[in-house]
Amino acid sequence: MPSFVSSPIWRVAFALLTKSTLRHWGQAKGSYLLIIAIVALGVGSLNGIRQASRAATANFGLFNEAISGRSDFLIEAPAGPIRETQLPGLAPLSRQPDWHLLPVIEGPFTQVSADGEPQRLLRLIGLDLVAVANLPTFIDREFAFGQAESRWNDWVGAAPRVWISSSLAADSGLKVGDSLRGAVGGRMHELEVAGMLGDADNPVPEDLLIADLPAAQAILTRVGEIDRIEAVVNDRAARQSPARMAEIEDRVRALLPEGLVFRAAAERIAERADMTAAFRLNLTILSLIAILVGAYLILQALDTAVVRRRAELATLKSLGVGQRALFLTLMLESLLIGTLGSILGLGVGVLLASGAVHLLADTVNALYFATSVEAIRMSGVDIATGLAVGIGFSLFAGLLPARDAMFTPPAQILSRGDWSPGFVWLRRPWTGLALVGAGLLCLLLPPLPLAGGARLPLGGFLAAGCGIIGAALLSGQTLVWIARACQRVAVGAATKLALSRLADGSSRHRLAVAGLVVAVAMVTGMVQMVGSFRVSIERWFDVRFQAELYVSERTAGGASAVNGIAPEVLQAVTTGPAVTFADTLYISPVGAPSGRTYLGGVDLGAWSGRVAQIWIKDPGALAPAADAQPAFISETFARRFDLMEGGKITLATPTGSRDVTPIGIYADYGNEFGSAVIAAEVWKQWIQADRAINTSLYLQPGTDANVVRDALRLRFPGLEIRNAQELRTLALGIFEQTFRVTSALNGIGLTVAIVGLALGLFSLFAESAGTWATLRRIGFPAKSFALTAGVEGAGIALAAWLSGTFVGLCLGWLLIYVINVQSFGWTLVWHLPVGAFLGLGASLVVFGFLAGALTGAWHRRGLS
Amino acid sequence: MTTTATRSAPEPNDPPDGTTGALAVNQLRKSYGAVEVLHGVDLDVQPGERVALMGPSGSGKSTLLNCICGIEPADAGQILISGADLTKMNAAELERTRRESIGYVFQSFHLLPTLTARENVEFPGQLIGLAARERRERAGALLDQVGMSHRAEHLPDALSGGERQRVALARAVMNSPRLVLADEPTGSLDSVIGDQVLELLQTISDELNIALLLVTHDTDCARICHRTVRLHDGRIAKPD
Ligand SMILES: Nc1ncnc2c1ncn2[C@@H]1O[C@H](COP(=O)(O)OP(=O)(O)OP(=O)(O)O)[C@@H](O)[C@H]1O
Ligand SMILES: [Mg+2]
Repeated sequence: MPSFVSSPIWRVAFALLTKSTLRHWGQAKGSYLLIIAIVALGVGSLNGIRQASRAATANFGLFNEAISGRSDFLIEAPAGPIRETQLPGLAPLSRQPDWHLLPVIEGPFTQVSADGEPQRLLRLIGLDLVAVANLPTFIDREFAFGQAESRWNDWVGAAPRVWISSSLAADSGLKVGDSLRGAVGGRMHELEVAGMLGDADNPVPEDLLIADLPAAQAILTRVGEIDRIEAVVNDRAARQSPARMAEIEDRVRALLPEGLVFRAAAERIAERADMTAAFRLNLTILSLIAILVGAYLILQALDTAVVRRRAELATLKSLGVGQRALFLTLMLESLLIGTLGSILGLGVGVLLASGAVHLLADTVNALYFATSVEAIRMSGVDIATGLAVGIGFSLFAGLLPARDAMFTPPAQILSRGDWSPGFVWLRRPWTGLALVGAGLLCLLLPPLPLAGGARLPLGGFLAAGCGIIGAALLSGQTLVWIARACQRVAVGAATKLALSRLADGSSRHRLAVAGLVVAVAMVTGMVQMVGSFRVSIERWFDVRFQAELYVSERTAGGASAVNGIAPEVLQAVTTGPAVTFADTLYISPVGAPSGRTYLGGVDLGAWSGRVAQIWIKDPGALAPAADAQPAFISETFARRFDLMEGGKITLATPTGSRDVTPIGIYADYGNEFGSAVIAAEVWKQWIQADRAINTSLYLQPGTDANVVRDALRLRFPGLEIRNAQELRTLALGIFEQTFRVTSALNGIGLTVAIVGLALGLFSLFAESAGTWATLRRIGFPAKSFALTAGVEGAGIALAAWLSGTFVGLCLGWLLIYVINVQSFGWTLVWHLPVGAFLGLGASLVVFGFLAGALTGAWHRRGLS
Repeated sequence: MTTTATRSAPEPNDPPDGTTGALAVNQLRKSYGAVEVLHGVDLDVQPGERVALMGPSGSGKSTLLNCICGIEPADAGQILISGADLTKMNAAELERTRRESIGYVFQSFHLLPTLTARENVEFPGQLIGLAARERRERAGALLDQVGMSHRAEHLPDALSGGERQRVALARAVMNSPRLVLADEPTGSLDSVIGDQVLELLQTISDELNIALLLVTHDTDCARICHRTVRLHDGRIAKPD
């Protein structure tokens, strides 16, 4: 036994743990299982979200791992694709014996079913298959390319043939020689399945579609372009030696032609991770909130346990058990709960992750980049984080009850002891005031820039956290005020008794109010933000989308899975007889001074006239800077690059650095990285591309838009053609999808608050056991008993709802005017869903009454 | 101020010399807010001596007991347990004194609900680090003595009031304290059972030479004591 165990405090604590604590667990198995389950759920949600978001976003590079082993470095153009005209410059590099170069083009391919419905998004990757076959690592892994059925010479350069993953083959029932239908760039394609990749031992991502480089270029209408050149170092031992790799890197850099850049493969993976950093951080914060409310539940549950063991604790005190030993015993109990719960939570996390991963992948697809799902994996870091967070929060939650146990008076004076001596600080306003003050100070903090161009409103989040908890601690006073006001008009012994107890404002009453206030504030705050977002987007829609038809590429992915509409297809669509004007948008990612952003090409004249916008700064309101291309910029772009009052910014384009200067600022809720739009002709020169992302058609007056739409649909099966109403439904659908996590969180928050209230009432009534026993002895009727308890519950709920709504309004303001502006750069119209607030209040009060009456009745039954 | 306690019982009704007792209270004062409950109490109890403390309700008997076991701090005066001054001790020392030198018997038993009768008795031994074997033997002997060996493995819930009090008695003397404080130990029991408990108290005190300060309302209970003192208006009244 370690020596500390033999010190008296530890000895006593261990004795109590086995003789008392564990036996209480045995007597109330249900309650303790519940507490452990709460910890498990908290840890599970944190870990689940971590693992799911990793699996949903980190699949970049999988193709390398699966096909060629890890690439060691990449050669890329500074922005946009590499032109084939640049390839001769690479000749000296490709003649080296130490590495193999592998040019790659990559683009989205939407698999389409026989009846023309988009089914799933695949990633079409074009490779120089001869080069692949020569890769040393490839040969190691004995992939299916090497098998007899796929002799290179048979098919290189012939009709488009593709290799698909064996899992996709199994899913869609495709065999070698079958044809795979799909759409790219608005055109339909039939590809022939040439073979399967991967098997159970060597799985490849399901969405992988491999074709020969020229075939892929043709399908993607990107002849003459490649996205990057991946390089694999031949000598595998060299990879383990940083010195050797540095030496190779130097040689590569020296041989690199003008206009191309060297990048370590890891760097690129990191960049993808950066892009979703804000998104994943938000999820992490959400799951931390989930754990925090879980900690509150544990606190309430442990507290109930302490209150019910109060007589026993008092006796222990009388027998000379010291304060520190009692504290230690209770903390050991929390430790045990935390450990068991966390271990269980690791398992729960994997379950949750498998459930959530597709939801998250959809969101990432819609918002950031094409992604697919990889298997859920639990890393050592996950295990450590899960255990640390679960145990940490359990200990934290156990602190208050343990303190309370420690200060339990000895049995001799217990009967006249004060209520909850460990909680008395809750009756004093200082902690609450200090937290609110700290919250206000946090508002002054500027947003934290993240790599990749996202911004984290750290100050806003801290302010929200401190403010909510501080205000929650203060709001116990509301309860006292309400109870005192009601006391004057109350009739009936039961109600009067309940009000007198509420007016006394014990620490436990205040704790119950505080927990509920946090939940109410969170829910009202979120409801406002989602509501405001929706109202703003609808308003934006009404103004911005006045064309009759909207044409884009047909794809199963979101915004990121876009290749662009082939120019001849666009030409055919926009010159139809019914079309008076087409507002065509070209867009491309470009480099910005910090992270990346988007550069669009439009008809600037039309944008100042017939294409309606919500203008933050009207066209012409900003004076353009000299020597820069005039542009309209989105609000997000303006805030991000500090251009609200005009100015100039340099963007990295495929043709070098280019300056743009704002001449107007428009509202745009579609893109959190911001965008600038310039004249389409200039865009085509700068970007060296001519594929538009979408076009909006304005029709002749009197034309039936749906007739035109149907005709276009027949002619262009590879295009998505929607009327205004369909577009609106689609966009709001994406919106709902984005906020699904938020609604789930609201649900969790409310459930937790309600369970917390029930637990809080439990300890309240357990603490008042003496009162109840007396009442019973003097013949207080069962009904009055339930009424008293019910009024107490309802009073707590009412006070919490009033304070919580007030705090929630402040939170709404913070979310809309600080957090939202800082992280997305757009302003919203503040919308107050008053009906929802009132409904929440009414249901809380009813629930409070019921919870009170039921727990009260339960306690009365327990008295003998 | 040290004393080696003698372990031989004094003759009944023959209070021993008051300077080196199991308990000495000198000029103890205690008030709650503006109300002074004890106005200078003097009381000596010799080793092995049994003293009944009587007095009207509200006269401060429980308060005095609480001061003596260090749960309520005294405002002024001295409390010596086997010569050690309680009023000069810090919290940890007070706790140790309670563990080692004082046994307490409550009116409402206060057994630990999750521990069996035997474990309840063993528990104080565990607090002072008594070896497990010794603890078990001693608890077994005490349970035998209070006639509870047959219910040793039962939880308190399953015991009657009298049985619980007998277990509580055994627990109070587990660590061979010099002094047992009993606040109306028969208050919750009927007279027959109460008498059994009193007789047990007497026997144990005699056998182990433990001093007893017994608070009671019942003159009949006082018969097991060597002498009776009365608390009146916060003072010990002159013996009549
Ligand atoms: N914590 C306290 N605060 C204020 N007054 C107290 C406190 N404890 C005891 N008292 C007062 O001290 C006086 C003595 O109380 P105590 O409990 O010692 O009486 P008692 O002699 O034991 O009475 P009983 O025979 O009824 O048990 C009473 O008037 C009581 O009201
Ligand atoms: Mg009393």
